[in-house]
Amino acid sequence: MTCSFLLPLALWCLIAYLPVWKSEIRISLSSDANNSDFPTVYVPGDHMEEARFDAFRAAVRQDNTDPQAAETAAAGRRANKRILRGITPLALAENWITPEQEKDYAALYTVWQRIALGELSGGLSQENLGIVSENWADMSAVSPSYNSRNFPSEPLLKLIPEGKSEVKRPLFLPAPHEIIARASEDFRGQSELGDLNVWGRYLVSIRTIAGGFLLVCLVGVPIALLCGTFSFFSRLIEPFVDFFRYMPAPAFGTLLIALFGIYDAPKLALVFLGTLPQLILMVANTTRMLDTSLLDAAQTLGANRKQLVTRVVIPGILPNLHNDIRILLGWAWTWLIIAELLGVKAGLTEIIDTQGRRFHFDHVYPIILLIGLTGFLTDQFLAWFRGVIFPYTEQGISASARSAARVLSKVSPLRLKRALRAKPVTVAT
Amino acid sequence: MTAPVLELPPYTRQSPEVEARFHKLKKRPVTLDVNRLTKVFSTPQGEVTALENVSFALHRREFMCVIGASGCGKSTLVRILAGLESASAGEVLVGGESVSGPGPDRGMVFQGYTLFPWLTVKQNVMFGLKMTGHSEATAESEAMQWIELVGLASSAEVYPHQLSGGMKQRVAIARALANQPRILLMDEPFGALDAQTRAQMQSYLLQIWRQVDITILFITHDLDEAVYLSDRVLVLDSDPGRVGELIEVPVPQPRNPRQFLTPEFLSAKKRLEELIHPQQRDGEEDRLPMLRMTKVGDDVV
Repeated sequence: MTCSFLLPLALWCLIAYLPVWKSEIRISLSSDANNSDFPTVYVPGDHMEEARFDAFRAAVRQDNTDPQAAETAAAGRRANKRILRGITPLALAENWITPEQEKDYAALYTVWQRIALGELSGGLSQENLGIVSENWADMSAVSPSYNSRNFPSEPLLKLIPEGKSEVKRPLFLPAPHEIIARASEDFRGQSELGDLNVWGRYLVSIRTIAGGFLLVCLVGVPIALLCGTFSFFSRLIEPFVDFFRYMPAPAFGTLLIALFGIYDAPKLALVFLGTLPQLILMVANTTRMLDTSLLDAAQTLGANRKQLVTRVVIPGILPNLHNDIRILLGWAWTWLIIAELLGVKAGLTEIIDTQGRRFHFDHVYPIILLIGLTGFLTDQFLAWFRGVIFPYTEQGISASARSAARVLSKVSPLRLKRALRAKPVTVAT
Repeated sequence: MTAPVLELPPYTRQSPEVEARFHKLKKRPVTLDVNRLTKVFSTPQGEVTALENVSFALHRREFMCVIGASGCGKSTLVRILAGLESASAGEVLVGGESVSGPGPDRGMVFQGYTLFPWLTVKQNVMFGLKMTGHSEATAESEAMQWIELVGLASSAEVYPHQLSGGMKQRVAIARALANQPRILLMDEPFGALDAQTRAQMQSYLLQIWRQVDITILFITHDLDEAVYLSDRVLVLDSDPGRVGELIEVPVPQPRNPRQFLTPEFLSAKKRLEELIHPQQRDGEEDRLPMLRMTKVGDDVV
């Protein structure tokens, strides 16, 4: 059983980590190159092929070994201020400056000073550390603190671009470690996913499906029991239900919005409408499949019509009804995903839909897995619970369910009633 | 060239004790009176007569077996008597009163195990008592008596799926008897059991019958079972089901398994055999149109 879960996981790992995907450099520190090969400005976060990145670095180094003096002092200062600003992304990432200080040259000036004095390094390469101290020597010679007029106009050295090699996979195929990292962010509520975090949305979804499903059981099971027990009701109800179930429930989406508004009600209604026909037909059939000899036996024991239903039909179909409910709950989840797109998008589907449209599949997959896991665990629990409430069925019952059933039978209402009614025993002397 | 067959006394010859017993039996009041019962099923192929003018009477505490070839309407008969099916014509009187529809005055034990799987042995036996309006406490104490009668007191709290086939049918008998019916209808109740359990159940049933005031109508297709259990055997002809003969079994009571090889037993059995397979004459055999597919020598067959 474990194997059937590990196999797809292994396949995913295999495809994601297979060396067919090209590596690219993700730039962390950028610079400008005075070279017609690199006409665009690259900013940190951009990707570049490895060979081109090397050429890019070489072009910047070339600029440093052969600095071209600007035509005017003002132009030289402007170019130097651009070099000064080049440290900003690193300073922000390392929390050396606050986001408000992004345009604050005085703060950046201090950053340069501190790096030059060896107080900060931020993972800069030795080469860049050298460049920083050389530049700082020039800068501090002109002015120890920032002064927009007192700024070197002789060309400063450019910082050499830095970056990390990264495997670039298709958007729809994030690697397992990326998914895990993203999921742990999302599930700890650290990502921005709108007004509610994942668990808030999860709760909304659970509420919708639980409400819708409870409603459909309350309405559908009695109808199905009638259909399965009395052929009059079967002929009255089932042909139409059989027809209705071929009309896809989402087709009624706009009608439901018109009837119930745009918030929770139409979503509940769609889960209800989608599940009801299946439930009626399935449970009616389950009822009909009850061993008729049990009904014969009950009649010869003096049971009347009402007792046949309450004492034989209902207890007789309960274990199979429990199975039907498990299958129907799976369908209800399908309807839920469609339902949550009706009107104002809500619940987990909102994340799937919004993030999916932006191709943020690393946000989408954990949510889909969460839904799958919820359904699977609910189903496993219900399967286990079968042994607790139906200890008389012949199917394999786990030891834990058996002991739970024993505990349950000790507190069953029948026994409680009897215990309360029992009179104190008087011993004759 | 056939080997000589045992010479048996005529099945109608009764010893004085047996004769006296039947004389007394017929003086007892009639519990079940079946009067010109007819059942016609309408099928797409036309009308099929399952039973035609079936009449017979069961006296109080009589044990009667109904026997017949398969498809002769035995089960239809017992289902009509139980009220689970309605007759096309004729009437059924229980204790002198005409009945239609099922009722607790006629208990029934089915061939399949019809215990309610969600109830324990005790709750199964209590079922009929509770349906007929007994209180929980009365039902429980009465049920326990019947469970003890069939020897299952130690299994009172277990569910049916934990019982063997024979035990299940004992519970079914206890459940049917708990309502204290006038008559117990049994539709091939031991048909699904293995030979050994079956023999054991037959002996249990006779013991129960001796200790309880009950009239039993027992459907079977097993000749030995019919002769061993009954006072009288009703033979149903097939197509349509009619009363062929009502045989008084000349084997003395109380019965025990050693009587299986007595001349009275065998003569009754022989008569039943003749009635159920009337077309078969000596030396004649149903032959299949078979091809010879082996070269086995004559020493095998």
